[in-house]
Amino acid sequence: MRAHSPFRNVAAVMYREYKIRITSFTWLFYDLALPAFYLLLFGIGLNTAFTGGVAVGGAVISYNAFFLAGVLSMAGFGIAINTSYGFFVDRDNGIFYEFLTYPMTRGEFLFGKILFSLCITTVQSAITVAIGVAVLRVQISLPLLPLLFLANAVCTAGWFFCLSIFALRIRRNDLYNTVINVAYFVLMFASSIFFPLDNSPAWLKILAGANPLTWHTDILRYLSVGTGEANTVLLQCAAYAVFAVAVFIGGVRALRASA
Amino acid sequence: MPQREHAIHISDLVKVYNSGGTDEVRALDDFSLTVERGHITGLLGPNGAGKSTLLKILTTLLPKTSGSAHIMGFDVEKQALDVRRSICLVLQQNAVEQYLTVEDNFETFGRFHGLSKSERRERGDRVIHAFGLEAERRQKAIDLSGGYKRRVQVAKVFMIDAPVIFLDEATTGMDPINKRATIDAVAEEARRGRTILLTTHLLDEAEELCDSIVFIDKGRKILEGDLFTIKALARNIVDVSVTYETLTPDIRDAVERIPARKREVQHSTVLLTIDSATASPHAVLGTLLDLGPTLAFEVRGATLEDVFMQVLGKEKP
Repeated sequence: MRAHSPFRNVAAVMYREYKIRITSFTWLFYDLALPAFYLLLFGIGLNTAFTGGVAVGGAVISYNAFFLAGVLSMAGFGIAINTSYGFFVDRDNGIFYEFLTYPMTRGEFLFGKILFSLCITTVQSAITVAIGVAVLRVQISLPLLPLLFLANAVCTAGWFFCLSIFALRIRRNDLYNTVINVAYFVLMFASSIFFPLDNSPAWLKILAGANPLTWHTDILRYLSVGTGEANTVLLQCAAYAVFAVAVFIGGVRALRASA
Repeated sequence: MPQREHAIHISDLVKVYNSGGTDEVRALDDFSLTVERGHITGLLGPNGAGKSTLLKILTTLLPKTSGSAHIMGFDVEKQALDVRRSICLVLQQNAVEQYLTVEDNFETFGRFHGLSKSERRERGDRVIHAFGLEAERRQKAIDLSGGYKRRVQVAKVFMIDAPVIFLDEATTGMDPINKRATIDAVAEEARRGRTILLTTHLLDEAEELCDSIVFIDKGRKILEGDLFTIKALARNIVDVSVTYETLTPDIRDAVERIPARKREVQHSTVLLTIDSATASPHAVLGTLLDLGPTLAFEVRGATLEDVFMQVLGKEKP
C-alpha cells in the first residue's frame, strides 16, 4: 500500500480541475474571459454615459473605476458557481461517488477544489485588473494589489462553500439551475456591484447592506480604488468572515451527507 | 474479530433508512459474510435486495446503522482512509470524467491513486490496449457511446493494485467481446491474489467467475456456498431441450402432455425443465426424440439461475 500523502491528493484534485478547465473553451471563457468582456463593454457604454463619474462615499470616481471591483466580485461569484456546479455534474455523471472512494479524505478533496478556485480567481483578477489599468486607465492602489487578489480569492472561497451546499443538497438539475439563477440575479442587483447605494431607496439599502456580495464588492473597491470608510470595510470583513465560516460548516456537512 | 487474512469480514451488519419514520426501510438485516483473500465472491439477489447498500457501506460511501465491517482488517468507519487505500470500485452507473479524454481519465485516476508518472503511462497504455480503446484515447468521454464509457470506467480498476475490488454490475452495457475481456481480466486479477466482490444479474457470468456465491434478499443472507454446493441445492432440476426439423402441431400437443415444472417453445426448439425425482430425464428425452425428426438435443443439470429462482421461490421467467 502506498503511503498517504495529503499534498499529492490535493495536487491530484487540482490537476483534475485544471485539465477540465484547460481543455474546454466554455470553462476558459466563463472563468477567465467573461469578466474582461464585462469590464470593456461597460467601459465603452456606461463610462461614457456617466461622464461626470459616480459619487461613492463622498468621492467622485469614473464608472470604470467604480465598476472594476464589481466585475472582480461578480467574476469570483461566477467561478464559485462553476466550481460548485462541478459537484452537481460529477454527481450526475456518477464520478462523484467514485471520488469518495479514492484514497483521500473528504477534507483533501474539498481543499483541492478550493485551492484551485483561489488560483483561478487570482489569475482572473490579474487579467481583469490589467485590462482595467491598461485599457480603461483605472488608477488603482498598487501597494494594496496583493491584498486585493487575496481578498477576492478568500471571498470566492466563501461563495464556493455557500453554493456547494445547494449543489450537494439539490438533486435535480432544473431545480438547481433555477435556484442559482434566482440567487445570482437577486444578489447581484441588490448589491453595490453595478451602482452606488448612497442614493438608493431605503429598502434597497437595507437589502444590499445584508448581502454578502455587497460586503465582498465593497472590500474589493476599498482595496482597488480606495473608496469607502475603513471602519465600515473592516466591519464588512468581519461579517464576511462569519458568513464564510457558517457556509464552510454547511458545505462540509452537505459533503458528508451527500453519499 | 476480523482476521488480517480475511479480505472482507462483515458481522451482523444492519442498515436502516429513515430510522424511526413511517417509511423506515431495513436495507440490511444482520448480514454477516467473510471473504478470503484472492477469492471471487458473487453477490446475487433481486432488485432492492440490499446489494448496493452493502457495497456502499463497504466502500465508505454510507454509514452503517449497527454491526461491523472490515476490509483487510480495517474498520470501514473508524479507519475509512485505510479502507479506501485498500479498495477500488466500479459503480453500477457510468462514472467517467465526461470532459476529459480517455487517456486523461486514466492519467487523473492514476494520480489519485499515487502512481508515478512512468506507472501512469505504462499502465494507462496497458489498459487502453486491453480494453480496445486505442482509437478513442484522445476523444473526450462525453463523445463516447455508453458501452465505451463503461469500458473506460471498468479499465481504470486494472491500473492499480488495491487488494480488494468491488464490481457492481460491471459488464452491464458492454458488447460480448468486451464483456469477455472484462471477465478474463477479473479472473486474472484474482489469480494474482486480489479479492473481488461482485454483484451481477448475469448468472452465467457469476457461474463462470465466482469461487463462492451469496444470495441476498430483503437485506438478509439466504444462502452462501461454493458453486457446486449451491448448485447441488437444485440437483433434481434438469433441463431437457430438443430442436426439431419442423415443429408440427402434433408435436406441440404431445409436448403439452409431458409432465414438467416448466415448458418453453422457441421456434422449433422445445425446452422442458423437469424434476428428476418425479420423472426420469432419459425417459422424457426418449419421448421427445420419438415425436419427430430432430436436429439437436441437450440434457443439462441445474444452473445458477435454477437455484436463484428456487431459493427465491419463483419459477423461471
